[in-house]
Amino acid sequence: MVKILVSILVLLVISSFPALSQTKSEGWRYEGPRVGLDLSRFLLNSMQSGKTTGWEIQADIPYKGNLFPTFETGMQTMNDKHDLFHYKNSGNYARVGIDMNLGKFESLKDQDFVFIGARLGYSLFNQQTESIYNSNYWGSITTSLPRRAMNANWAELVFGMKGEIFPNFFFGWSLRAKILLAVTKDNHIKPYVIPGIGNTSGGTPFDFSVGIYYRFPIFKSKKIPKPIKMGGEKHPGLNNGTDTNDQNGSGRGQSGRSGQNYNRGN
Amino acid sequence: MRYSLVVISLFAFTLWSCNNGNRCYDSVDTFMVTSFSINGFKTINSLVIKGLNRNDIGDTLVNNALSTMTKTYNLPLSLTADSTGFVLKTNGTTDTLFIRHTMNLVFVSRYCGFAPDYTLKGSRHTSGIDSVKIFHPKVNPLSIQLAPNGQNISIYFSPARH
Repeated sequence: MVKILVSILVLLVISSFPALSQTKSEGWRYEGPRVGLDLSRFLLNSMQSGKTTGWEIQADIPYKGNLFPTFETGMQTMNDKHDLFHYKNSGNYARVGIDMNLGKFESLKDQDFVFIGARLGYSLFNQQTESIYNSNYWGSITTSLPRRAMNANWAELVFGMKGEIFPNFFFGWSLRAKILLAVTKDNHIKPYVIPGIGNTSGGTPFDFSVGIYYRFPIFKSKKIPKPIKMGGEKHPGLNNGTDTNDQNGSGRGQSGRSGQNYNRGN
Repeated sequence: MRYSLVVISLFAFTLWSCNNGNRCYDSVDTFMVTSFSINGFKTINSLVIKGLNRNDIGDTLVNNALSTMTKTYNLPLSLTADSTGFVLKTNGTTDTLFIRHTMNLVFVSRYCGFAPDYTLKGSRHTSGIDSVKIFHPKVNPLSIQLAPNGQNISIYFSPARH
């Protein structure tokens, strides 16, 4: 537990060094699909004494600068042996969704962002239970439940951040609240761990994802994406006509929806 | 901003790391809540209950000598057979009662395991028992909450023989 907390702290500290995210060519903003590995799946495995194994790949692509349609897929196997039963499940899952940048990019090179997002997930898995034991006045019974195909779907609310730690390499984390929408009914056992969701025996399952990502710098642009306007009135004192993208006097920020007219990179 | 993100992430991680521990807080013992009475408002002065063919010391389920109109006890059902037999000695008269049932093992929780979940299907009995009435055919670990005012099943003894 302490090791994991220290690891998280180290990763967060590393992610706070903006100098590491400088690139050689200062004049362009590079964007493109970002693909990464969820490291928390391995952390989870070490925390649960090898009861779960699995992997997860996450990918997103910028859309209009501040929106990031995402796709995540993975697999998980669980082997949970107790004195009174031995539960196993294994399956694959996928999520689709979108993240939205809550802040604004300060410069062409600024790729760090805090986001909220949503996901819809689907899991296809099988489960079986062996060595189920119970006893009473009349004696004891040991039995098993055969392997059975199951599926589940759920929704997620996501909050997190991603930051560029080296050129085109990103580190990010997200906190996820998961709402189970449906799961195959089983008269004997409702799965208490579902691939892609995690532990469902409590209330709303929370999950924490930590990942490293590589961005393929396919698109380049001279424009800084404008922040997404939220609802509510502007403070009168702030409405002085200053374009936030022009704050460094570079003249690169332009009115209108920016970040849409990408050129093919290199 | 960076500091707040660190704090938030640590808080989030702590939440994620929390679990309920590895203790069992639920019951996996299932009992059929059974009430006994004699038709015609006679009192039961003594009641001894054993499992059928269970004659060893310690096999007595109930041994009660208090005089009451109605007695209620929680009785275990067989895990492997589809009927359970009891020998009832009421006011000195011995009867045999068979309860027919089906059983499923149902998951309770990760640290408690599985509990038997029965459905009562019917009964057979000797002539000292007037009738048997099933009120709640589902018998599971929560059934004991039916007592003392409710029961899964009621046994009515014949007043002529008790």
